[in-house]
Amino acid sequence: MSEVLDLADAGAVHVATPAPSFLFRLGAALVVLSLVLMVVGPWITPYDPNRPTFEISEPPPALTAIPGLLWRVITGAPHDPIHWFGTDSSGLDVFSRVVAAPRTDVAIAVGANVVSLILGSLLGLLAGFARPWIAGTVMRISDLIQAFPVFITGMILVTFAGRSNMTIVLTLAFLYTPIYVRLTRAEVLSQRTRGFVDAARVLGKPEGFIALRHVLPNALAPSLIQASVTIGFAILMTAGLSFVGAGVRPPTPEWGLMIAASANELIQGEWWSSLFPGLAISLTVFGYAAFGNGLERIYDR
Amino acid sequence: MLNFIARRLVVAMFQLVGLVLVVFFAIRMLPADPVARLVGMNSTPEAYRMSQQALGLDKPMLEQLRSYIAGVATGDFGRSWVSGAPVMEDIRNVLPVTIELITISFILAFLISVPLGMLCALRPGGVADTATFTYSLFAGSQPEFWWGLLFIYIFFAMLGWAPPPLGRLDPMSTPPASISGFITVDSLLAGNIAAFRDGLHHLMLPVATKVFVLSGPIIKMVRQNMVRVLGADYVLYARASGLPPWRVALIALKNALVPALTLLGVLYGYILGGAVLIETVFSLGGIGQYAVRSVLAFDYPAIQAVVLVIAAISLFVYLALDVIHAWIDPRLAS
Amino acid sequence: MTDSAPVLDVRGLTVDYGGRPAVEDFALTIARGEIVGLTGDSGSGKSTLALALLGLTRGPGRIKGGSVVLEGTDLLALDEASRRERRGRDIGLIVQNPRGALSPLHRVGQQIGAVYRSHQTVTGAQATAHAVDMLRSLGLNDPERRASAYPHEISGGMAQRVLIAMALGSGPRLLVADEPTSGLDVTIQAQFLDEMWRTVRKDGSSALLMTQDLGIIANYCDRVVVLQNGRRVEDAPTQSFYAAPRDSYSRSILALRKEEVLPDAAPSRLLEIKDLRKIFPLRGSNKHVQAVDDVSFTIGRGETLGLVGESGSGKTTVGRCILRLVEPDAGEITFGDASVTSASPAALRGLRRKLQVVFQDPFDSLDPRWTVTDILAEAIEGKSDKARIAELLRLVGLRPDVASAKPRALSAGSQQRVNIARAIAVEPELIVLDEPTSALTPLARIATIRLLRDIQARLGVSYLFISHDLNTVEHMSHRVAVMYLGQIVELGTREQVFRSPLHPYSKALLAAHLVADPSRRRVDRTDIQTLSGEIPSPIDLPRGCYLASRCPVALASCREQPQPLLPAPDGRLVRCTPAIASLKQAMH
Repeated sequence: MSEVLDLADAGAVHVATPAPSFLFRLGAALVVLSLVLMVVGPWITPYDPNRPTFEISEPPPALTAIPGLLWRVITGAPHDPIHWFGTDSSGLDVFSRVVAAPRTDVAIAVGANVVSLILGSLLGLLAGFARPWIAGTVMRISDLIQAFPVFITGMILVTFAGRSNMTIVLTLAFLYTPIYVRLTRAEVLSQRTRGFVDAARVLGKPEGFIALRHVLPNALAPSLIQASVTIGFAILMTAGLSFVGAGVRPPTPEWGLMIAASANELIQGEWWSSLFPGLAISLTVFGYAAFGNGLERIYDR
Repeated sequence: MLNFIARRLVVAMFQLVGLVLVVFFAIRMLPADPVARLVGMNSTPEAYRMSQQALGLDKPMLEQLRSYIAGVATGDFGRSWVSGAPVMEDIRNVLPVTIELITISFILAFLISVPLGMLCALRPGGVADTATFTYSLFAGSQPEFWWGLLFIYIFFAMLGWAPPPLGRLDPMSTPPASISGFITVDSLLAGNIAAFRDGLHHLMLPVATKVFVLSGPIIKMVRQNMVRVLGADYVLYARASGLPPWRVALIALKNALVPALTLLGVLYGYILGGAVLIETVFSLGGIGQYAVRSVLAFDYPAIQAVVLVIAAISLFVYLALDVIHAWIDPRLAS
Repeated sequence: MTDSAPVLDVRGLTVDYGGRPAVEDFALTIARGEIVGLTGDSGSGKSTLALALLGLTRGPGRIKGGSVVLEGTDLLALDEASRRERRGRDIGLIVQNPRGALSPLHRVGQQIGAVYRSHQTVTGAQATAHAVDMLRSLGLNDPERRASAYPHEISGGMAQRVLIAMALGSGPRLLVADEPTSGLDVTIQAQFLDEMWRTVRKDGSSALLMTQDLGIIANYCDRVVVLQNGRRVEDAPTQSFYAAPRDSYSRSILALRKEEVLPDAAPSRLLEIKDLRKIFPLRGSNKHVQAVDDVSFTIGRGETLGLVGESGSGKTTVGRCILRLVEPDAGEITFGDASVTSASPAALRGLRRKLQVVFQDPFDSLDPRWTVTDILAEAIEGKSDKARIAELLRLVGLRPDVASAKPRALSAGSQQRVNIARAIAVEPELIVLDEPTSALTPLARIATIRLLRDIQARLGVSYLFISHDLNTVEHMSHRVAVMYLGQIVELGTREQVFRSPLHPYSKALLAAHLVADPSRRRVDRTDIQTLSGEIPSPIDLPRGCYLASRCPVALASCREQPQPLLPAPDGRLVRCTPAIASLKQAMH
C-alpha cells in the first residue's frame, strides 16, 4: 500500500544563530589546541618555564626579524632558543610559560567541569524523577549554592582549603554543579512525560532502568553543550583567582599569575609579559564559547 | 498577585536564613586556621590561646552561632580582625563604590547593547548581524582584568586620556561629604562640579571595561529573543490583520523584552560579586576589593558580612525582578 | 445577484519557499457569496497559499509571480502600504492554532480592538465595545469578561472565535480560513463552522475554506479545489467531486467510505471493568477533577470496543487506568482471571505482557536515540532475535531496511507502525489504542486502520479503541461506548449507536460528525439537535445530569436527579431515563 510521505512541518521557529560554520571550526581548532597544549605543553617549551634566564625584561623579537629567526629554526641551524614572547622582569621566558600554563589552567577547568557535569546530571535526574521531597531538597540546596557570589565564594573556598590545584578543581566543581543540575532537571522533566517512557513502563521495565537508559541519555544534550561554555568560564575564573592571589600558587606557570606578576611593569612599558598570557586567555575562552555555540546550532537543527 | 509576592517573600526569608547559617558553618568547617595565621606558626601555646580568646574562637560552636545570629539581627557584624573597625562601618564605606560602578556600567551596557541586539535581529544572517554576533561571543569571553590593564596601558600610559588607576578621585583632592557614598551623587549634592567631573574621569576606564564585557551576553540574549519573536505566529498574524508597522513593532518589542527581564536581574546579581577584578585593577576600594583583603587575611567577621550582604542584595534583586516579571507577563501569576 | 464580477481572481500565483516552489502557477476564482473548499495533503502548500493571497510569506518564502485580484485590484501589484490597508478590511484570514496567533501579553479584547482601529477611525473605548459586540454575535455569553482575558486563559474554540472577530471586524468580502477547526472538539467544530457559515451567508461575503477534512468540505462548501505539491489538480462543484473525484489522492481518501465487515468476535469476557473511578486533585486548592466516574464495561476476545468522547470525557484516563499507568481511586479491573487493580508488582509485570498500548503521537512514543531494532528488541526482551524483528516489520508492512533506522528518519505513519510492531511483539491479548491515528494525515490514517484490522483478523487480539474521530471508530469497532465528562452515556453495538443514537449527547455528537457526503449536508438538515454552549469544566460538575445545561430536550427532573446507566429495550445501555422512556413508547 502506498504511503504518502508527510514532510516534517516547520514546527517551532529555530532561532537562527548566524555565525557560519567558520566560527565553529575556529572554535574547534582553538579547543583542540588548548587540549593538546594541556597534555604536551610543558614538554615542548624551548626554555624551562620555571628557570630564570639571564635575559631580564627582554622584549620579543621585532617583526622584521621574525622571518630570519623562523628560517633559522626551520633549517635547524644551531642557535640559542628564541624568546618569542620576550622575558619578564625575573628573566623567565614568557613563551614557555604561556605554552606550559594550559597544563594548569585548562586541566583545572576541564577537570572541574567533568566532575560537576557527572554530579550535576545525576542530581538533576534525581530532582526530575524522584519523589517530590527528594527533588525539592536537591533544588533548594542547588538554589542556595547559586545565591552566593561566585567569585568571592571561590576565593574563600580556595584560600581556606589550602591553595592547591585540587582544591581549585573541587571548588569550581562545587560552584558549577548547580548549573548542570538545573539544566538536566529541566530536560528530565520534559522527557519524562514522553510517550516512550510510558511505553517502556507498559512493557514492564523498572523505573530505574527507564531513568538511566531512556530519560538520562535524552536529557544530557543541553548540559554537554553548556559544558564547553562553562569550561571557558572556569579558565577565566582560575586566572582571575590567581590574579588576586587566591588561586594557583606561584611559581606554577598560570596565565593569571603571569599577568599579576607583570602588572606593575606594564605601565613602565613592559607590555609583552602581560599581553601574551592575556591574549592566550582571550583566545582560548573565545574558542570554547564559539565551539559551544556551534554545538548549540547543530543540536537545534 | 499579592499572593505571589507574599509567597516569594517567604521563600526569600528562608533562603536568607539558610545563607546566614551556611556562611557561618562553612567558614568554620574549612581546614584553615585563622588564629595560627594571625599569631604566627611558631607561637607559644599561651599566645595562641590568648589570640583565640580575643577572636572569640575559644567558645563552643553553638555559642559562637548564638552571638553571631544575635549580631546579624541587630546589624552588628562584629569587628574586622584587620582594621579593628566595626565591619558594618567598613561595608557602609565600600558597598556604595561597587554599586555606583555596577549600576552605571549596567545602564550604559544596556543602552548600547539592546538597540544593537534588536537591529541585528531585523536581518538575521546578514553581514552586520554576523559581525555583531561574533563580537558578542568574543566580548562575553574576555578576561576583564586583562582588558582593564590594557585600557590603562593604552589610555593612561600611552595616550594620557585617563587618570592613573589609583582610586575614585585624584588622591590629592578632597572628596565631597559622603552622604550616599556615591561620588557622582555626593559631588552634585555638594555642588562640587570639579569633583563630579573628576569622579567620572576616574570611572571612565573601569566602566568602559565592564561595559565591554557585559555587552557580549546582553547583545546575544536580546538578539535571540528578538529573532524568536519576529518569527512568531502572532507577529505574522498581526501583519495579516493589517496592523500598522508601529503597532506590530510594539507587540514584538513587549514580547521580546519581557522574558529578558529575569536574565538581566541574574546578570546584575552576578556582577555584584564579580566587580572584584575591576576594583582590584583600578584600586577603586569597593566591596570586591574589601573581600579580597578580608579573604587573604582570614578575617572571619568581614568575610561573613561581605558574603551575607552581597547574597542578600542578590536575593532582593531576584525577588523584585520576579515580581515585575509576573506583573507584566500574565502567564506567570496564574 | 447584483454583481457578477468575482470577489477573487487568482492567476499564475507562484511562491518559492527556501528555493523550492511551494505553490506553482495557481489559479482560482471565487464568486460573490460562494464558499470554496481547498484540500490537499500536508505539505501541499495550503498555508503558504493562504498567506500569499494576502501578499505575505513566512520567513524564507518569496512570491515569485502571478496576480491576486481582489474586487478588481491586484494585491500583488500594489505597494505594501496599500496592501496593508486592504488586509483585514477587504480580506480576512483565520489560521490553525489560534492561540499561537495571539500575542500572549495582550488581552484578547484589546487585540480585536487594535485590528478594528487599524481600519476604522474610532477611539480605544469604541474599539473595545465593538470587540465585545463581535464576541457576543459569535455566540459567546458574558463577552465582557471574555474580552478581558489573556490568550492562555481561553479555550481553543474561544480563541478561534477571537480570530474570527479580528478577521470579520470590518466586514471583508472574502474570508480565508486555514484549517480553522483542527484541534477543536467535534461538537465545538460543528458549532463554529455553523456560525461561520451563517455569518458569511448573512453578509453575502465569500469564503475560502482550507482543510484536510473532506467531511467539512462536503458539508459546507459549494466547490472543491484540490492542491497537490503546490499545483491545482482539480476544481469541481462539490456534488460532482464527491461522486467521481479525478485525482488519485482524493480517490484514495474517499475510498474508505465503503462499509467493511469486521472480523468475528467470540462472546467471551477478556477484560472487565467495574465502577471505575479516578479523581485528580488540583494543586493549590481543595477542588478536584472528576476524570472518570462509575465506568463499567467488558471487552471480549478478538473484539474491538470503541470509546468515543470529546475533551474532558475521561476516555484517555480510562485507558491509562487499565494499563495502570495511573492508579484508579475505586473500582475493579479484571483481565482473564487475574485482577489488574490489586496485582502485586510481580504479578503486574506478568500481566503487562498481555496488555499493550499504542499512543497518539507516533514520534513521541519512540526513544529518538534508539534504532527500530533496539526498540523492538527491548520489547522482545533478551533475545535480540533478528528473525523475529524482521517478521514483526513484515507484519506491520514496513520494509526490512527500516530496522536500522532511527525514528526521525521515518514518516509519522511509519513511526506508528513501529509502535504497533512493538505492541504486538510481546503477543498481547488486548491493546489499548489511544487516538492512534489522530496525529496522522488522512492517507496514513486509512492505511493504519486497515493494518489494525488486518492484525486483529490474524492474531485475534482485542482492542480498546479510544478516539474522538467517529469515522475511524465506525470502521474499527464491534461495540461503541460514548463518554461525556467522565461517564458512559451510551453503550451499544456499532449499528445501534451510529444508526440510531438514543442519548441526546450521542445524537449531537453524531450530528456534528461531518460525513463526506454532500447529499447529507449538515447545513441542509433542519432536525439537528445541537448542544448549546461549551463543555462545562470538569471541576464544578452539576448535581443532576451533566448534560442538562446544554441539552435541547432537558426536563426539570434532569437537572435535579443524576441519571443512572440503564438498559434499554434493545439491549444497549443509556444514561437518560427520558430517552429510554420515549423508546419504550415508540416500540408499542
